[in-house]
Amino acid sequence: MADINIIIGGPQGGGIESAGQIAVKSLVLMGYEVLGSREYHSNIIGAHSYYHLRASPERPKSLKLPVDGILALDAESVFTHMFEAREGGVFVYDPSTAATRLASIQPMSKALKKRLAEFFEAKGMQPTVESALKVISDSGVRLVGLPLKEMLKTLSERTGSPVARVSRAVNTLGLAAMLYLLGLPRSYIEKAVALQFAGKEKVIAMNVEAVGIAIEYVREAFGQPDSLPEGPKRGQVRMVASGNDLVAMGKIVGGLGVLTFYPITPSSDEALYVEKHNYISLDGGLAEKLGYDKIAIATVQMEDELASINAALGAAAAGARASTTTSGPGFSLMNEAISLAVQAEIPIVVTLWMRAGPSTGMPTRTGQQDVLHGIFSGHGDAPKIVIASGDHVEAFYDAIKAFNWAEEFQTPVIHLLDKYLASSMVSLSRDEVDPSKARITRGKLVEKPGEGYRRYEVTEDGISPRARLGEATMIFTGLEHDEYGGATEDPVVREVMMFKRERKLKAIEEGIPEEDKAVLHGDRDARLAIVSFGSTKNPILEALDILRGEGVRSRFLQVRLLSPFPASLVSDMLDGADKVIVVEQNIMGQFELLLRAYTGVKPDSRIIKINGRPFYGFELAGALKRVLETGEERVVVSHGS
Amino acid sequence: MARKWLDYKTDAWVQWCPGCGDFGILNSIYRAVSELGIDPEELVVVGGIGCSGRTTYYVKGSNFHALHGRAIPVATGVKLANPHLNVIVAGGDGDLMGIGGGHFVALGRRNIDLTVLLYDNAVYGLTKGQAAPTLPAWIKTKALSSPNIHDNINPVMLAFAVGFTFIARGYAYHTQQLKEIIKQAVRHKGAALVDILQPCPTYNNVMTNKWYEERIYYVEDEDPGYDPMIRTPEDFAAKAPSIVSKLLEFGDKIPLGILYWNQTREPFEDRLDKIMPGYKEAPPARRRLDVDGRPFLHPFDVFKDRLVAP
Repeated sequence: MADINIIIGGPQGGGIESAGQIAVKSLVLMGYEVLGSREYHSNIIGAHSYYHLRASPERPKSLKLPVDGILALDAESVFTHMFEAREGGVFVYDPSTAATRLASIQPMSKALKKRLAEFFEAKGMQPTVESALKVISDSGVRLVGLPLKEMLKTLSERTGSPVARVSRAVNTLGLAAMLYLLGLPRSYIEKAVALQFAGKEKVIAMNVEAVGIAIEYVREAFGQPDSLPEGPKRGQVRMVASGNDLVAMGKIVGGLGVLTFYPITPSSDEALYVEKHNYISLDGGLAEKLGYDKIAIATVQMEDELASINAALGAAAAGARASTTTSGPGFSLMNEAISLAVQAEIPIVVTLWMRAGPSTGMPTRTGQQDVLHGIFSGHGDAPKIVIASGDHVEAFYDAIKAFNWAEEFQTPVIHLLDKYLASSMVSLSRDEVDPSKARITRGKLVEKPGEGYRRYEVTEDGISPRARLGEATMIFTGLEHDEYGGATEDPVVREVMMFKRERKLKAIEEGIPEEDKAVLHGDRDARLAIVSFGSTKNPILEALDILRGEGVRSRFLQVRLLSPFPASLVSDMLDGADKVIVVEQNIMGQFELLLRAYTGVKPDSRIIKINGRPFYGFELAGALKRVLETGEERVVVSHGS
Repeated sequence: MARKWLDYKTDAWVQWCPGCGDFGILNSIYRAVSELGIDPEELVVVGGIGCSGRTTYYVKGSNFHALHGRAIPVATGVKLANPHLNVIVAGGDGDLMGIGGGHFVALGRRNIDLTVLLYDNAVYGLTKGQAAPTLPAWIKTKALSSPNIHDNINPVMLAFAVGFTFIARGYAYHTQQLKEIIKQAVRHKGAALVDILQPCPTYNNVMTNKWYEERIYYVEDEDPGYDPMIRTPEDFAAKAPSIVSKLLEFGDKIPLGILYWNQTREPFEDRLDKIMPGYKEAPPARRRLDVDGRPFLHPFDVFKDRLVAP
């Protein structure tokens, strides 16, 4: 079964992202399922970034190392990825970098330089690209040096544009050479280029010409490679979308009316994607049914995260589906308002894209460090809903469900995701993001309830009829209040209202379906149980497949609802397991703490990754085997550049 | 429809200290909104934290008592969701000039159609008399152990600098004049500030009624030639110097009345409607979101920039 793995490395601002997307689109056009992810520094231009992708007939569950093809667009990329190509793979580079010395590469981290310098010294080699190439070649990888300067000259001649202009296509030259050597036919690469630069005819023409030049060169130098077989989805219209995109889509499909945000990685791309699609025309039939023909979503960049969440609260109180999106540092600023949302019973959705903290940490790298921050956000007794999506498809539907639950239970919903989901993209079929599989439920929303309306009416399930601001007299308030919202410090009313809000937790437990609380994957009765949440889902599933292939049966419990924690369901799902291993991306064991606190289950071991890079299935499988063999309490996995 | 001011009175006990300027402000609000004929259901008072924020419990409306400093963002969100509502922000000097100062600045940039009533007594009353951002330097009120060594913010000048399009100053004990100012502020389409000077009889023993009465004057009385109205960009160029000098006046003499009124800038909600025609007609708060209980947009039909089609 075809399994194609690629890394494209180069300087930030050097077209790495677009090269990656062209590669993804080429493979999707060929009928493959693709997973692609962007790793980058907190930098605008010059620092090393790379695109890592994998394609196979079924959707890849995680990225893989070593890879089949590496495109190193600069000397730093040669050094950084010199150990990441598999035997028999190809390593495409620019021969003019051969003499470059490690020490002369400015953007590279001092630590990596030191590690590599020690490696070369131990081998008795000079710390140069040439030495790196020798190491790569000695490991059985085919080196493909592309004379990029000459190729750009040819491109300039053929397009009649100056070299300075066509040099922007240098990434396409390298990419086309690599893809062709991996067996991708020229036509798919050209079509992907046209899709990538849709609407910019001159850019397309230049890049298509670049594809031709690169392919002519490598065919001449290396002969025609065997073609990859076509994948099962060839000929279908597919979608390629990131987690950021899919959450934005879910929100819009789910009825988003107001999105407020303050720029912060890795949430901004979600907001920008909403902004791009915040005005939608409806066709006649639909417009007639709905009574309006334009969807206009107020998408507003606020002055800070305090304003973002408080404006979302105002908008939600006025009756719109309102949301804000942020990551750890921004969420810290939102804490006070989370508490207000709980107390005033306002349905907002906060999308929390976790990144590698604490503090500013590594802003562009992934992690799962805001589990407890999300769950225990807000001062006071603050019951709220926290859900964690396991993958891109879940992220889409969860964005819709988050609005439903916020409105049904009139409390904030925190949708927990991470940088890996944010900036990785997958191929999808039409039926995988099907709105007819979703619902819109607005709970006890009432129209113009008239005199005597009680915003905080005490009810059996703790949930009161909710009127929009502007349709009844009322007071939304963060002070303790009576049924009308009048401020009070009466001890009896205080208890009544505390119990009212507490009853909502029971309503939530009863109202959220089991499959949205926790999912048991794999061999349900296996004695080995892996427990995790969030984007570790698919890497764990891949690891399970690998273990199964080696005769080890296991079950995987994916917790989706982190608050209120589905304790009895999780306990039931762990029934009969005699070895429990937690997988998570933080060092304090935040998820493990929840598991222990709510179920009393003490995991035997945990596998963690804290280097800011996503889990890979192969390394998880290795770590699981190690735990089974040695019984180690903690295994740290560390792959990724 | 004309209403009686009593229609806006709630049954809540008003908790302010006897003689508090807040009473005058509350009465002026009652009378202004009743004369404007705004139905209580369509009146949204958003309060901050402090004595002023309690206004949300005393004016019958569809109200929101927000966090300290965050009344303006909440009000902004209300307007984004439903630009047809009448929204008044009631906040103190600590709330709007201190902890929420950044939001005040941003509101000016956006010129959202909101009325900000700044209850300006130069102290933090509810927390027992600390110095607020509008307390002039070297004043030592009785709760302070030493004189205030912070200089004071000039709210009207700040509002001008950041883009408010209606700027006025009132005095809490002059309810008749204050009512008229509030009416104009609410009528104005854009960000309006009414800086309302008020004694805090409990904690500000320096800036008393006597202190204010010795200094305040109405511009229309003492300076009949003063013209705050900007109808064209040329107007602005011609009148800005005199307006700025009036806004800067705060010392032995303190001007009251409408100090600046710019009708040349469109409010934010009009800009949203300009880039998204139909926004005001079917605002986010009022749109139906489902057909038969389900979403009606398919991502493959809407987000075509993410499609890879053979």
